[in-house]
Amino acid sequence: MQDSWKDDQPIYRQLHDKILGLILSGALKEGEALPSVRQVASDYQINHLTVGKAYQELVDAGLVEKRRGLGMFVLAGSQQKIATSEREKFISQELPNLIAKARQLGIREAELTKAIRQMMKENT
Amino acid sequence: MQTVIKARGLSKSYGSTRVLDGIDLDLMPGRILGLIGPNGAGKTTLLKAILGLAPAQGELAVLGLNPHTQRTQMLQEISFIADTAILPRWLKVKQALEYMEGVHPRFDRAKAEVFLQRTEVKTNMLVRQLSKGMLTQLHLALVMAIDSKLLILDEPTLGLDILYRKQFYNALLDDYFDKDKTILITTHQVEEIENLLTDVVFIRQGKLCLNSSMEELQDRFVELQLTDDQLAKVAGHTPIHSRPVLGGKAMIFEGGDREFLRSLGPIKTPSLADIFVAKMHGEKS
Repeated sequence: MQDSWKDDQPIYRQLHDKILGLILSGALKEGEALPSVRQVASDYQINHLTVGKAYQELVDAGLVEKRRGLGMFVLAGSQQKIATSEREKFISQELPNLIAKARQLGIREAELTKAIRQMMKENT
Repeated sequence: MQTVIKARGLSKSYGSTRVLDGIDLDLMPGRILGLIGPNGAGKTTLLKAILGLAPAQGELAVLGLNPHTQRTQMLQEISFIADTAILPRWLKVKQALEYMEGVHPRFDRAKAEVFLQRTEVKTNMLVRQLSKGMLTQLHLALVMAIDSKLLILDEPTLGLDILYRKQFYNALLDDYFDKDKTILITTHQVEEIENLLTDVVFIRQGKLCLNSSMEELQDRFVELQLTDDQLAKVAGHTPIHSRPVLGGKAMIFEGGDREFLRSLGPIKTPSLADIFVAKMHGEKS
């Protein structure tokens, strides 16, 4: 099926985030190979430059490495790296959005923290 | 790297009508170029000039060759699927393969057969027994088995259902394309190939009104949704297109002050289809 891309971000960025998600969840394990550029391009019907760009970002971030003639491999320690940076991103970017939305709706701090505490308990 | 297609001031007139009007184009290897334009804009005429089927004024080199004076040599490196079915109806699939093997030095029959095995097309069928989708598969099998440097597709998926269309593009990316090959594709179904393209050209009344890599588009065009009371703020910035949306207007800006626009709300890159509409609409007025 055609995966739908959001239109607020370039596709290479979204592909990059998808792969981060796979490494984070353990679906793509450290030491494992990423699918070839050709494979991804064909599966998603996107051009090879887009896939190449997403992969290059992962290389630049030190999460995967290119092995000549073999392809791209997930580096050891990348799951931990991603978890750390995603946590930071959640606190610095997603949380402020959530709070802004709560403010807009007139939800008070006490009410919000109570709901959060409740949900965190339920999920442990 | 040798430029695959290089055109300078390419022009052509039928009587007093200018169908190509000073086209400049550079296409490099490893690119997938979409040639997009309304009916009668000059798409087919441009393809014909590139294929050496119709002469045009100006400079034109395809793989460094002159499409007219060096056509035989040029055609060894090019494959082409026309938008109309051109295979004779009485021909057997097997005979089509034999014919190609006989006339084309770079045709790999085994490759075509392997490709056909994955489809419903049987080699003992007649062309007239094939559905439109199967016919496209046969065309694709024939041209993909040619080790060409440039593949030209003129409305390749016109009239095909979604399953065949997906198969078609999958095969194209999986079995044909690599970094040394180049694809030029014309289509009306902009949405479908948008993510496939590395470069795009809009043609309108014989002129190119957009000639850009897909990457540059992201820097060049901005779409922004504004509420009615924000509209006054963009008074000094002229959008190339504006359409009403709930509670305001969605505007597309070309160039423009990105930082300023971002300060008004979330910006995004408009879809190719929206840019197409904006460009076609804008230059009419």
